Amino acid sequence: MFYRLSGVHHANYVSDSRIFKVPADRNLTAFIFLIGLAAPFIIPSLYLNSYMLPWLIWTAAALGLNLVTGWAGQLHLGYAAVMAVGAYSSIHAARFGVPWEFALIIGGLTSSVIGSLFAFAALRVKGLYLALTTLAMQFVMDWVLTHSPAISGGSHASLQSPTLALLGQEITTDTGFYYVAFGWCVLVTIFMLNLKRTGLGRALVAVREKDFAAAILGVNSFYYKILAFATSSFIAGVSGALLVATFFFLAAPEQFSVAVSIQVLAMVIVGGLGSIIGSYFGVALILLVPGIVNGLVVTLSDGLGMQIDVETLAHIPNAVYGALIVIILLIEPLGLGKLYGNIRDYLMVWPFDQFKK
Amino acid sequence: MKKFTKALAVLSMFGGAVFSTQALAEPFKIGICYDLSKAYTFATPQVSQAAMDLAKLINMKGGIGGEPVEVIVRDHGNEPQRGIECYSKLSREGVFVFDTLSTPVSLAILPRAMEDGRILMQSLVGRGDAVDGTVFDWVYPIGPTYWGQAANDVAYIKQLHDGDLSDVKVGFVYFDYPFGQEPIEILETLSEKEGFELELYPVPLPGSDQAGVWSKVRRDKPDHVIVWMLGGAHVVASKEMKRNRIPMDKYISVNWLNEVDIANIGKEAAKGIKRGTNVVGGQDIALYQEIMAELYDKGEGSGPIEKTQDVFYNTGLAMYSIMFEAARKAAEAEGLPITPTSYKAGLESLEGYDANGLMAPVTVTAEDHGGGGKTRIEMWDGETWVPQTDWISAYTDVVWGVVKESSAKYEQ
Repeated sequence: MFYRLSGVHHANYVSDSRIFKVPADRNLTAFIFLIGLAAPFIIPSLYLNSYMLPWLIWTAAALGLNLVTGWAGQLHLGYAAVMAVGAYSSIHAARFGVPWEFALIIGGLTSSVIGSLFAFAALRVKGLYLALTTLAMQFVMDWVLTHSPAISGGSHASLQSPTLALLGQEITTDTGFYYVAFGWCVLVTIFMLNLKRTGLGRALVAVREKDFAAAILGVNSFYYKILAFATSSFIAGVSGALLVATFFFLAAPEQFSVAVSIQVLAMVIVGGLGSIIGSYFGVALILLVPGIVNGLVVTLSDGLGMQIDVETLAHIPNAVYGALIVIILLIEPLGLGKLYGNIRDYLMVWPFDQFKK
Repeated sequence: MKKFTKALAVLSMFGGAVFSTQALAEPFKIGICYDLSKAYTFATPQVSQAAMDLAKLINMKGGIGGEPVEVIVRDHGNEPQRGIECYSKLSREGVFVFDTLSTPVSLAILPRAMEDGRILMQSLVGRGDAVDGTVFDWVYPIGPTYWGQAANDVAYIKQLHDGDLSDVKVGFVYFDYPFGQEPIEILETLSEKEGFELELYPVPLPGSDQAGVWSKVRRDKPDHVIVWMLGGAHVVASKEMKRNRIPMDKYISVNWLNEVDIANIGKEAAKGIKRGTNVVGGQDIALYQEIMAELYDKGEGSGPIEKTQDVFYNTGLAMYSIMFEAARKAAEAEGLPITPTSYKAGLESLEGYDANGLMAPVTVTAEDHGGGGKTRIEMWDGETWVPQTDWISAYTDVVWGVVKESSAKYEQ
């Protein structure tokens, strides 16, 4: 009923490899895209700039990590370090006078080069060993940032970002920042949607499932792993740069610490490995839920006139949030994306499947 | 249907409550966006409790200009994006004075506060060059910067050696990240100026392993060790000092050393340990006694009484006394309601304010947003803190040289 399947036949390969095989999916996506476009006019500015904007940028970043972890199956614990490389190099480029369009690309490329250089060394090992090597990369980056004032910039290692300007237009309003974040997130999403149906995507999945089996089929697993690292690092670099340019306005090492790396990985895992919609949900849960639950708990205790001391009040949301992650992963170990998939599958032929049971 | 009408009634009650509070006059509010659950929990509970107690006390005495004051405490978990969320949310509710007590969050809010013209208080955290009021119009790091504190420590050492530092060796043990690295430049400049020998001992985070550092200190035999570490790291350091037979009185800590650390080291074992501070330690303070009499003795305190017996509680009292005093001045000068501009003027009219002997006197001007940066050295005698110096701010020319050099980079 919701997903009309009648009349949908895929009789050739081109039709079968469409992004949206069911019209309802396409319509839903178009609808959400339109809401995204209209968001500055329908969502209060508080929610626009302190929830929507970071959500979109972190989603773009999480999609990049999903590419290397979800698609290519390589655990990555140093993702925030790669974002830092992009952020710092594009800000330095912009401060040097390079137009922002190029500065962002420079940030992406530097991340890409450093990320894949590291992958060269790291990919000689697999699995947990690789995870530890990428963690080492995070610590190397942290050390470099806190020990080189030339990179991290003066007092308390904070680097001011110049005003963002794209296509000759200075961007200073909340709406402007939102559209930049929205545009980048849409771009990454389209890339990821298409990745699924290309040879590259299939090769990555083959490498993920069993790299030597893939090698037997003629897929050079080392080459594809490096490619996955390079691409995801590019996305990370630009996302990191945009995060600073549109949200923080100032880069500091704490914004890209090891805790952040683990947070991004949590977003991808809770959202669902290899799931695009899951990344959106995962980021929302990890990034936004603590703040929202915090607000709810505070309102609730105020509303009920309870005298709870501030410290307990601060810890309750953390407990709720932790429980939420555990419950979600217990219900559906494949993450929020799969949870959505289950609902969609259930509704696919609803109510006719009820007759079978 | 009955349930539905009941729900409606409850809803309208809530709605009514919201509207009725809006109809009342806006009290002067301070937004306290603190990390109450992650990295800064060694100090935030005490400081926020002090803020709430002080607000209660002021309201009992009739508020500021006849209006009640309000402090709004929220948790941001030391995450920059949640700090920004807290700032955006509260500033839409009419708050224009903020404090974060967290360096990452303070850094993240600073560009917004500068843009929006809201007051960002950042005593003891955040970028030190923000004391330069000519660049950072809306940021007030009242209290000592780490640069100023380190310079004052050197002045104290100079005092001990009768004004001659030429054959003195000073060790600097610090957390190897921006917080600990900040004083290095000042110490190096002063070492050249005064002719003392400076030895640097970086401690890797989180500071739980300092064995190598202190055995090196034993070999180098510095006369004094200035220490830039926090919380549990002091306890580890004291153990290593015992192991290496380094006397405790060589230890001069940054202001982040409190009674909890002393208890963990052991009251007797900690004898002789020193710290720089901008507030008076202990409970023999007029304001503290008043809070005890008016609030805690009547069971009206904002938290457990044990938390008030901590130097960070005094630090909190000092920070918020300044904020409320500025509001009082603003209300006196330009009347109610207090606006960001009148509040700013109120802050900048503070002169020699020491909250009745609670802290180092503070004089804020349009150029110096740090209030003078005075500290003193106190020593733990096994029972309480004994002051070793007057309130001093030494080498101000050197400190301001570093401040100006750094703040110039912000303007670029």
